[in-house]
Amino acid sequence: MANQNLYKGSLQTIILKLLSENEKMYGYEITQKVKEITKGKLTITEGALYPTLHKLEAQGLLSVEVKEVSNRLRKYYKLTESGIEETNQKLLELENFIQTITTLINPKIA
Amino acid sequence: MKKITKEHIEILYKFTREHFVEHFDVQTELVDHLANDIEIQWQKNPNLTFEQAKLNAFKKFGVFGFMDVYGARQGALQKKYLKILWHHAKDWLKLPKIIATFILYYFLYTGLKRYDDTFALIILGFIISFGLIKHILLLKKVKKRQKISGKKWLLEDLIFKGMFLGGITGVNLFNIINLASPENYDVLWSLVYALIFTILIIYIYVGTMVLPPKAEALLIETYPEYKLA
Repeated sequence: MANQNLYKGSLQTIILKLLSENEKMYGYEITQKVKEITKGKLTITEGALYPTLHKLEAQGLLSVEVKEVSNRLRKYYKLTESGIEETNQKLLELENFIQTITTLINPKIA
Repeated sequence: MKKITKEHIEILYKFTREHFVEHFDVQTELVDHLANDIEIQWQKNPNLTFEQAKLNAFKKFGVFGFMDVYGARQGALQKKYLKILWHHAKDWLKLPKIIATFILYYFLYTGLKRYDDTFALIILGFIISFGLIKHILLLKKVKKRQKISGKKWLLEDLIFKGMFLGGITGVNLFNIINLASPENYDVLWSLVYALIFTILIIYIYVGTMVLPPKAEALLIETYPEYKLA
C-alpha cells in the first residue's frame, strides 16, 4: 500500500473527480471505487471520507439525496453547479502540482 | 448471499447510539456504511456472524470510532446554523427593519451616555435574563418534540439549543463591563457599547424568536431524509 500521507492533501480532489464521473455516489461506494481503480494501493479511511464529504456539502459543492435501499436509508452525494467548477479548478491545481514535483525530483524529464 | 435485515438495521442504530452518536441524521449514514461493509464481508466469508462483521466494520473507523465523523458533521452544521442566523439577522440592517435597529441603537447610546455603568448593567441583566428564560423554554420544547418523534436531528438541536452560545457571550460581556468599562461613558465608549448591545439583542432575538418557529421548514430543507424517517 502506498504512503497514505502523500494522498491526504488530494482527498477533496479525488472525491470531486469521482463524483464528476458518476451522477451520484454514497460514502461506502466511494471507498470501494477508489480501492478498485487504484487496485488497492489507495484506501480512503472512513474517518477521513465523511468529514471531507460533510465539509464539501457545507461549502455548497455537493448536494444530497436520500433513498430507501435494502431496508435502510442511503445518502447520495452529487456535484452542484459550483461543485463542477471547483472540480475543474482543483484538477488543474493538482496537475500543476504533479508537474512541479516531477520537475523537482527529476529535472531531466521536465 | 446473506443480506442485512430490518432487525440488523435496528441493532446498528442502537450500536451508533451506544457509541455516542445520538442524532438520527448522522446515525443514518453510519448505519448504511456499516451495513454495506458487513454485506461485503459476508460475500467473502458467509459463515461470519453479524456481531463479528459489525465489529470488523466498526474497527475501520479507527481508535476514535465515530467521533471524527460526528465532530465533522457537527462543525459543518454549526457553520450552516450561523449562516441561517446571519441570513435572518441581516434583515435588521435593511429597510424597513433598520429603522427599528437604529432606534434601539440610539436608545442604548443615550442611556449609556446619561446613566453610565448602571444602565449598561441593567440592559445586560435584562438581555441575559431574557436569554436564559427563552433558553429553558426552548429546551423543554425540543425535548418534547424529540420525545414525540423518537428522533434527534443535529440541526434541530442547534436551532433550539444554540442560545447557549448567547448565554456564554452575555456572561462574558457582563464580566468585561464590570472590569474594563469606565466610570463615565464618553461618546466613544457609548457608541461602542451601544453597538455591542444592539448586535447581542438582534442575535438573541433571531436565535430564540425567529428561528425556532421555522425549525420544521429548515429541517425539511436540510435533510432529504426528514420526511422519509
